[in-house]
Amino acid sequence: MRDLLALVRGRFFLALCRLRGLDVKIGRGLRIYKKISISGSGRVEIGDNCIIAGIPGDSSQYVCLETLNPTAVIHIGDDASLYAARIAAKFRIIIGDKVLIEEAGIMDTDYHTIAKDRGTPANESEDKCRVTIGNRVCMGARSSILKGTTIGDDVIIAPGAIVTMSVKPGSIVAGNPARMLSMGG
Amino acid sequence: MLQDKIKGLIKRIVENRDDILPYAIGLSRGLCYLIYYKLFKNNVSIAFPFIVNAKVRIIGPGTVTVGKGCRVMKNAFKGLTILTFSREATVTIGNKCLLGGTTIRCQQAVAIGEKTMTAISLIQDSFLMPRNGNGEDVNGRLPRPQSITIGRNVWLGEACFVMKGSTIGDDCVLSSGTWCHDATYQDYVLIMGNPARNAIPIDKLLRLKGEL
Repeated sequence: MRDLLALVRGRFFLALCRLRGLDVKIGRGLRIYKKISISGSGRVEIGDNCIIAGIPGDSSQYVCLETLNPTAVIHIGDDASLYAARIAAKFRIIIGDKVLIEEAGIMDTDYHTIAKDRGTPANESEDKCRVTIGNRVCMGARSSILKGTTIGDDVIIAPGAIVTMSVKPGSIVAGNPARMLSMGG
Repeated sequence: MLQDKIKGLIKRIVENRDDILPYAIGLSRGLCYLIYYKLFKNNVSIAFPFIVNAKVRIIGPGTVTVGKGCRVMKNAFKGLTILTFSREATVTIGNKCLLGGTTIRCQQAVAIGEKTMTAISLIQDSFLMPRNGNGEDVNGRLPRPQSITIGRNVWLGEACFVMKGSTIGDDCVLSSGTWCHDATYQDYVLIMGNPARNAIPIDKLLRLKGEL
């Protein structure tokens, strides 16, 4: 019953997005259990059989997908589970299939410079800043991925990790800045 | 003898008069929670003075025991969240703990001793949730969940992460943003770092500062 309701809610959300004129492409079988917000003029693509939910009992249960540019792209593959994930793209964020993201943040921009005027950073470009996440990646709670990182397949990101560098496939990373706990093959 | 006691009580009330109203509200609110869990949830047992100033959520089939005199503070309005994933999971919280903004996610066992203070922190005895949304096991390559033991009179700072397998001794202090995982710490040490590496005995720190 709950799953059926979530399916209906997914259809309803897609219709609502069309009505608002957002550039959104959503695959078959999206299930929405908690709140989701998509904002911005960029393109958002979500694959088949995705799940939007919150970790039961947690106070922050929103999934936020935000594009800051008309040319920005967020792509999420098939069978993804997003539990209170927050994704903000200025250039391009590509996420693979079968990922699990728990209460984590992904962004490919710093929003502001470190200079006194706090203006828009000038030296950011798509080649430098884009974020690519492989298949079957699991992200723990309260972790975040910063700009310019490439994360391979089968990586596990421990809760609380701040990933600032690229990660090899199959490894487990933890800490701030994230270091390897175990190497992948 | 009795007069002195009454005088002391009145003095304490006058000294803490700003705290009386929140205490009374919390006591009545805690009583409501206590009656609710007594009536509807068999796996949760909470002892009587339970003072609640923020939201409390206890979810899941596991056994949860909260000692007497615990208080849930209004820490950024986050409240106390206890989440158990299976029937075997047990969460034990000792007497007179100050809990505010804590999230406990338990698959095996979490034990917290007496008089422990916590800020907004996460205590989790596994890396990830047991299953993803499609019901597939995601913890296959990870080590099994391990139980967590936190001793008496421990102070957990803000944004702490206590991960699986960590054992923290009595009177310890965890600095802000500490991330500890699979390690045993002795009594009365200061633990810091993300990931936490070396623990400093607090005796030594106080001696260096000239406070002991």
